[in-house]
Amino acid sequence: MKSDFLANKLAAVGLGIILLFILFCYVGPLLYHTDQVHIDLSQATLPPSRAHPLGTNEVGYDQLGRLMAGGQSSLEVGIAAALLATVFGTVWGAISGYAGGVVDAAMMRVIDALLAVPALFLLLFLTSIARPTIGLLILVIALISWLGPARLVRGQALVLRTRDYVTSVRLMGGGPWRTVFRHIAPNAIGTVVVNATFQVADAILIVAALSFLGLGVPPPAANWGDMLSNGINYTYDGYWWLIFPPGVAIVAVVVAFNLIGDASRDAFDVRLRTR
Amino acid sequence: MSTARKYPPKVWVVLISITALLVAGCAGVTTPSTGRPMQGGVATFAEPANTTPNYIFPFMPAEYLSVITVSDFQYLMYRPLYWFGDNGQPVLNDKLSLANHPTFADDNRTVTVTLRDYAWSDNTKVTADGIVFWINMMKAEKKNWGAYVPGGIPDDIDSVTADSPNQVTFQLNKSYSAEWFVYNELSQITPLPHSWDRTVSGTSDCEHHVSDCTGVYNYLADQAKSLNSYATNPLWQVVDGPWRLKSFNADGNISFIPNPSYSGPNKPHLAQFNEAPFSDTAAEYNVLRSGDNSVQVGFLPPEDAPAKPDNQNVGHNPLEDNYTLDRWFSFAVNYFPLNNHNPTVGPIFQQQYFRQALESLVDQKSIIKAAVHGYGATTNGPVPTTPKNPYASDTTEPNPFTYDPARAQKLLAEHGWSTPRDDVGSCQRPGTGPDQCGPGVKAGAQLDFQLMYASGSPRVALSMQQLQSSATKVGIKLDLRGAPFNTVIGTAIPCDTGKPDCNWEMGNWGAGWVFSPDYYPTGELIFGTGAGSNTANFSDPKLDQLIAATQHSDSAAALRAYTQYGSETVPAIWEPNADYQETEIANNLKGITPQNPYLNITPEDWYYVQ
Amino acid sequence: MTGFITRRLLQALVVVLLVTVIVFILLHLLPGGPARAQLGPRATPVAIANFNHQMGYDRSLPIQYWNWLTQLATGNLGFSTKLNQSVVSLIGERLPKTLVLTLLSTVFALGVAIPLGMVQAVKRNHAADYTITVWAFIFYATPPFFLGVVLIVVFSVSLPILPAEAPQSSSLVVILSQPAGLVLPVLTLALLTIAQFSRYMRSSVIENLAEDYVRTARAKGAGERTVLINHVLRNSLIPIVTLLGLSLPAIFSGALITEAVFNFPGMGQLFWTAAQTQDYPIMLGITVLIGVATVIGSLLADLAYAALDPRVRFA
Repeated sequence: MKSDFLANKLAAVGLGIILLFILFCYVGPLLYHTDQVHIDLSQATLPPSRAHPLGTNEVGYDQLGRLMAGGQSSLEVGIAAALLATVFGTVWGAISGYAGGVVDAAMMRVIDALLAVPALFLLLFLTSIARPTIGLLILVIALISWLGPARLVRGQALVLRTRDYVTSVRLMGGGPWRTVFRHIAPNAIGTVVVNATFQVADAILIVAALSFLGLGVPPPAANWGDMLSNGINYTYDGYWWLIFPPGVAIVAVVVAFNLIGDASRDAFDVRLRTR
Repeated sequence: MSTARKYPPKVWVVLISITALLVAGCAGVTTPSTGRPMQGGVATFAEPANTTPNYIFPFMPAEYLSVITVSDFQYLMYRPLYWFGDNGQPVLNDKLSLANHPTFADDNRTVTVTLRDYAWSDNTKVTADGIVFWINMMKAEKKNWGAYVPGGIPDDIDSVTADSPNQVTFQLNKSYSAEWFVYNELSQITPLPHSWDRTVSGTSDCEHHVSDCTGVYNYLADQAKSLNSYATNPLWQVVDGPWRLKSFNADGNISFIPNPSYSGPNKPHLAQFNEAPFSDTAAEYNVLRSGDNSVQVGFLPPEDAPAKPDNQNVGHNPLEDNYTLDRWFSFAVNYFPLNNHNPTVGPIFQQQYFRQALESLVDQKSIIKAAVHGYGATTNGPVPTTPKNPYASDTTEPNPFTYDPARAQKLLAEHGWSTPRDDVGSCQRPGTGPDQCGPGVKAGAQLDFQLMYASGSPRVALSMQQLQSSATKVGIKLDLRGAPFNTVIGTAIPCDTGKPDCNWEMGNWGAGWVFSPDYYPTGELIFGTGAGSNTANFSDPKLDQLIAATQHSDSAAALRAYTQYGSETVPAIWEPNADYQETEIANNLKGITPQNPYLNITPEDWYYVQ
Repeated sequence: MTGFITRRLLQALVVVLLVTVIVFILLHLLPGGPARAQLGPRATPVAIANFNHQMGYDRSLPIQYWNWLTQLATGNLGFSTKLNQSVVSLIGERLPKTLVLTLLSTVFALGVAIPLGMVQAVKRNHAADYTITVWAFIFYATPPFFLGVVLIVVFSVSLPILPAEAPQSSSLVVILSQPAGLVLPVLTLALLTIAQFSRYMRSSVIENLAEDYVRTARAKGAGERTVLINHVLRNSLIPIVTLLGLSLPAIFSGALITEAVFNFPGMGQLFWTAAQTQDYPIMLGITVLIGVATVIGSLLADLAYAALDPRVRFA
């Protein structure tokens, strides 16, 4: 029993970290007021002090306040993109797996083709035809992330469609849509939820990579990825407060989501092999 | 690091140093002081991040015309007729030019160029025919000459004649300013060797017949497509510059060895000169910091430089144990265009007061401090003031529209705009009167603009954030959008109102304009009505007149008048000019400074001291 | 078996063609166009028209696609005007770097991750398991550019024992002869991969330990070590092999960030630069390559699956 306790403990730690960051990002700004819209170059790259507990960044924003603001968009993008990808992927996979035959083959070839188009190219393409906003970022990340859940759910659907209760629904005259949405999708829910947790973690990492490649959201908006990749420019100036706070925040939140995902996988016992 | 770069075979070094010593002794080269100069040795130069030379034939289309290909590569082997940049000044360098200063006659309609005694490495001379060869090729293959401007060279040359083996006479179609013609037109000529006058089937005669030139061009351009043969193709081994290729790798690792028959005044001291590629500035800086001595001339990314005190030329050098820091200024003017032809906001951009207001919101001094840690200079008008040069007018120092949000607010309010803080201002008093918004601006027009900028450079991002933030104080809303450099230059283009490619509003690729090979900063290419690189689609009859005067009159007052009016009317928004590079030079390597403001490098001047 | 492979290859061909059509259309939807992007701010209308004509960009899209396809059939991937090199030679120059980086890091990662995952499974829910789990998650959660920079600061700057830059040659022999330069980039990529693979290995071993055959083996008196190595390991490797096959395409574009940090311009960098300058031939060429690699990867995964798992038979 000691082991279960430990497993839950890790999940609890993960949950705790996420709650802490949600409080920090959403309640923090109510208590700690900073201007994250107007820059002040005369206050640029100040080291931590009483006035600025985490110093200021390269254009003079208070780093602690920016960490809160940046966290909001990082969490929102991560969660929204994961939800979108999961919902779309689940529907696609469920239909494909349930329908089988030609429909399944065609739908799977689409996934194969999209898997073979370099994700980098899709990202660059989407961000260069439209102004990168939070909404677009969510869409872009969802677009390259839905393939995983789609394959996963299809696999589940292939198994479920042969199960007795699905067969009996069909025999009783249930339409295919009803079957997919009422029976197959809910029964794959364990798989899907666990996968979604990992998707959130991955989405936050993708945002960071996009920022490093210069495709993040334009200022004055911020996210942890932008903050970190900006900070990296000043690696050798000793401006550690520009690098470590966003870096640690990203790592902590991504680890937290992974811990939760891992624990809930064991709980659902869905034998996930792929993410 | 390839070991070859670090440890060249010793015998080779000794042999070459002996030769170089002999050659140097004969020429009586004098070298600046500090340390005892040595002959021989190998120096490696860091290529700018993510660019490598990739074209060897000096007559090239626009896609290859770049600093790295011309200044860091071709010029080492194939010398231009006139060399620009002298002792750190952006002026003609008489000593390194292949010809005497040209003589102008017939009201500046006839130009005579007399060649000095220069030889190709195949023992032929650099001749008048070699110049005519180039001009003929320009006439036949205008579309493939990257610096071609309609109406410019060769269109402005009625005829070119080789009077003798070392003298050429040009008949011009109009009278031009002598300075302008030398700096912007003759500057584009590189004499070619006779042995290049051939096609795949044998010798040809482009030197005398323009009709032969297309075949010759096709042959040479085709040879230039095979990068891996650059160091072995006998064609490219015929050089008149101080260096020839030893090895060339398409990834940017390049080695040069001295051309023993170089007949210029500055013979190489080094036994070998290398260039090395870097995928980004951080990667380059990591190598310098590691202290493994694989690069002798590299650069310090300004964001990694400790802040430079205002009263010093350079600040603390974090690499001082191994390197000496030297600022490299480029003769360039930094600005970003507002699309005067945009159907919606173009009329606003056409108002001089609006441009002046926007310019008043750019805090150049603070940007220089914060973004490049003091390593930059303010831009005050269409002619650079740094490095010091004979062209810039004193009247543009300082910028008449230096940072002053109150002035911006006043200018807008005086012309009928509301200027709400943190909100979008709009035109309250449309009309053409002196206190109204101006022609074409409708009632209720909004101060809300899309500004696309080149992401990837912390400097550009920071300066755009500064402008965006100070603009909110006077009711101007700027929607920033970062995009790759190439996307920005592909978007911010000269265009016609109503066409789909003319809907862009503001675009900042972060580099403005570098005066090369248009070395005389007259602005006809960038701000003249309808000019090919007038990205702002700017049009002002008065400015056009002043530009024309700089091109056609030898009076120094003409350029001053243009500079002064240009800084007042603000054809594009001036942005601070960062140094081209903070060069880090190995402590025992000398002869690199002062660096050339047209960005040419002369490793033939470099030498080690003991 | 042969029928299976033929069918899969035909399917693959369809997928690859589909991919090229998608990429081709998307490319031409990009704003600006290649002429402006490549000729730079000095480009005149004459030069742009000349460029578009020489590259064939002034023709209709279907004709352009057809021309490209017929060239492809002869093995010609086209010529990058901007880089003044054929796409084949560009790929030939960059591929060795990417291969060295990804193969070394994958091999190293497997070597570490497989034993690690087994230890975790055997010591399931003990302190060792949790420690490794937490570390695996931390490395998985660290953006590679952050990790790379930290490694450089520590190992090349603070205690300068390793070069900050990967070997600069494009020759395999030279690259491999300078192993010191490979340590940091391989490590950066490997730490992330170890984190991933050890997780898969752990759950795979746990699943297998619960299977009947393990109980049978134990009942027959086989030692725990024999059971683990002879029975469990082999079966647990199946998902890893599948995963490896599927991640083959990532070899071509996945290491981009690591390549950038360590100045080791491989395929990722080539593709990225080409995307920014809208260099169509390079982008299409690499896309085809990735498409083919994806297909081969999943085919190999299936074949390996069959080899490892005697229960699988090809229909």
